[in-house]
Amino acid sequence: MALVAAGAAFSWWEGGLHQYSSAAHWSIAAVIALVLSAAVAFGWGRQAATAGAWVRGPLPVRRHLAERRRASVAVVIWIVLALAVVGWDLNSFVHQSHDLPTLSSIVGHVTSSRAGRAGTVAVWLVVGAALGLGWRRRR
Amino acid sequence: MTPGGDVWIGIGAALAIWVVASALRRDIPGPIAVVRWFAQSWLGRTLALCAWAGAGWHLFCQRP
Repeated sequence: MALVAAGAAFSWWEGGLHQYSSAAHWSIAAVIALVLSAAVAFGWGRQAATAGAWVRGPLPVRRHLAERRRASVAVVIWIVLALAVVGWDLNSFVHQSHDLPTLSSIVGHVTSSRAGRAGTVAVWLVVGAALGLGWRRRR
Repeated sequence: MTPGGDVWIGIGAALAIWVVASALRRDIPGPIAVVRWFAQSWLGRTLALCAWAGAGWHLFCQRP
């Protein structure tokens, strides 16, 4: 509960900062360092799979397709959607045209207000906490 | 609305439809399952954390 309150307070404080201020820079850098440190400190020896097994995991696609066809098609659709986002963002970035806004410029409309920036920071913190601390094996 | 903005609306709508579909059907993996897949190993977790850190720095410290 205290962590949630601290995260909400940080998000609101961060929401009031400008992206070029030194306070925004050191506070975001500190959060990144904290999450990376916590991921190592709390996760050492608690990963569900080794990196090698994780890389090899998607390779037996044919067997997986035969056993769970719908889930496999769903994964392909996720990949297509992710490629669409990355590809269109790259295309927009390369052309640097007003008619082709990048994803970050669209997010920038949201983060231009204090509430929008604070909400975006809060979502970013939740995702970081989940990636850093979530889904570990029990010791 | 710009032509590029129209494309973003289309991609966003497709993503929204797919997220709703994954919430309604248990056999379709949702966004949390995708994040959980990256968190299975140190390699996947490191890649995802690097993307997360880069996105945060870009959005909150660089984007004008």
